[in-house]
Amino acid sequence: MKQVIQLRVNGELYEVRVQPWKTLVEVIREDIGLTGTKEACSTGECGACTVLLDGKPVNSCLVLAVEAEDKEIMTVEGMAQGGKLHPLQEAFVRHGAIQCGFCTPGMLLSAKALLDENPRPTEAEIAETISGNLCRCTGYVKITEAILAVAQGE
Amino acid sequence: MAIADLGYLLTLPRFDHLEAKTLEEACSLLSQYKEKARVIAGGTDLLVLMKRREISPQYMINLKTIPNLDYIRYTDREGLRIGALTTLHEIECLPIIGERFPILVAAAHQIGSPHIRNVATIGGNLCNAAPSADTAPPLIALGARVEIKGLNTERTISLEDFFLGPGENALRTGEILTEIQIPNPPPNTQGTYLKLPARTVIDIAVVGVAVIITQHFKDIVDARIALGAVAPTPLRARKAEDMIKGKVVEQQLIEEVSQAAAEAAEPISDIRASADYRKEMVKVLTSRALKQVITPG
Repeated sequence: MKQVIQLRVNGELYEVRVQPWKTLVEVIREDIGLTGTKEACSTGECGACTVLLDGKPVNSCLVLAVEAEDKEIMTVEGMAQGGKLHPLQEAFVRHGAIQCGFCTPGMLLSAKALLDENPRPTEAEIAETISGNLCRCTGYVKITEAILAVAQGE
Repeated sequence: MAIADLGYLLTLPRFDHLEAKTLEEACSLLSQYKEKARVIAGGTDLLVLMKRREISPQYMINLKTIPNLDYIRYTDREGLRIGALTTLHEIECLPIIGERFPILVAAAHQIGSPHIRNVATIGGNLCNAAPSADTAPPLIALGARVEIKGLNTERTISLEDFFLGPGENALRTGEILTEIQIPNPPPNTQGTYLKLPARTVIDIAVVGVAVIITQHFKDIVDARIALGAVAPTPLRARKAEDMIKGKVVEQQLIEEVSQAAAEAAEPISDIRASADYRKEMVKVLTSRALKQVITPG
C-alpha cells in the first residue's frame, strides 16, 4: 500500500514511503522528522499546521502527502538562512510575540508569504493574512506589531 | 509515538488514491466504483468529513491531475465561465470578477480562511452541497447554470436545481461538475452578499443573503434575493422579489420585502442558532443588503 514519493522541503529532496491516507503534516513530522510544524485541530480551522506550498500558506493537515510531490514546501525550519534568523523571527522575539510558541511557526509562515508578495502591508492586510492562524496566548497584538515592524523596515 | 496514539488528533481512514489524467478516466472510475468512490478537488471539505468518519470512500479519485479544469473566461456576450477546479483565492483576486461580479468576490472572501481559500475550489463548494455554501446564494441570484459531464454525456442545469438537500446534489453516478456559467448582468445592476457571523473567519454561515438589484432611476427593474443556511438547500425568495420588482424604492417597501424574505426561510435550530433567530436575521440582512445596493431616488 505504501508508495515512494519525493518531497522537496526547504530546498532539500526527501524520499519517503507513505500510504495515500497520510497527510502532509503527518509525513513532515513523522517521516521527515521536522517537528516545527504542529498539528492541533486536524481539520483546517486553526492554522497550526501551516506550511507554504509553492509560496502559498495552506493547512498541511488537509493536504495528502502524495499530492505534495512536485511542489516547493517550506516549513518554519526553512526560514532561518545560514544560521541567521529570518527578520520575522527576530521581530517576533524582539516584540514579545511568542508565549507558548505553538502558533508561532504557522504565524511566521503566513506572514512570510504576505511580505514576499506585498512588502509593505497595512495593519488590516496583516490581520487578514493571519486570520487563519489561531493564538490562544497572546491576543494577536504583539504578533501584528512584529509583522508590522518588519513591514516598516525595522 | 504514532499520531493515532494521541487521543485528540484525527487521522484519515484507508483508501486507494487514483490520479485521473482525463475527465473520461475520472467518469469511468466513478461509474465503475459507484458509491465506493469519491472525487477530491481541494479536499478541504472531503478530508474533514473523512477524518470525522462521516464518509469513508474506498477509492479517492483526484481531479487535480486533470488539466484544463481550472480557468476563468469572460466575454461580453457569454458572460463568465469558471472551471470547477478554480480555487476560491483565484476567484477573490481576478480583476474581471472584481469588476463585473463583485458579489462573487464578497462570497468567496468570506469562506474559511486564506489557507482554505488557497486550495478550496468553487466546484467543491457547490458539490459538497452544504445548505450554508457561501458561493451558492450569489450564484443562484446571478442566474448561474452548471455544466455536468458524464462518460458520454453532457448536460447543463440551473444551479438552483443542483441542490437536492443537505449534502445532496444532482450529480448522477459517473458525473462530474465541470463548469459554472454566469450570464452578464444587465447595466445598472448592483449586488451584495451578507453573511452572519460577520467578519468571523472559518465559521460557516448561520444565515447568508444575496441581493441583486437592477435599477433604472427610481424604478426597480429586476430583483433577485437568494438565501443560504436557512433551508435544506439554498433558495430564492421569489415572493419577496416579486414584491419589489417594478416598484419605486421606499423605506416601507424595503421592510415588507425583508419580511417576505424571512417568511421564505425554513431554518432549523441547531448548535449555531435557533430557527427564530435565523428567520429574524434573514429579515435584518435582507434589509441591510437592499439598502446597500438600492440607490435612493
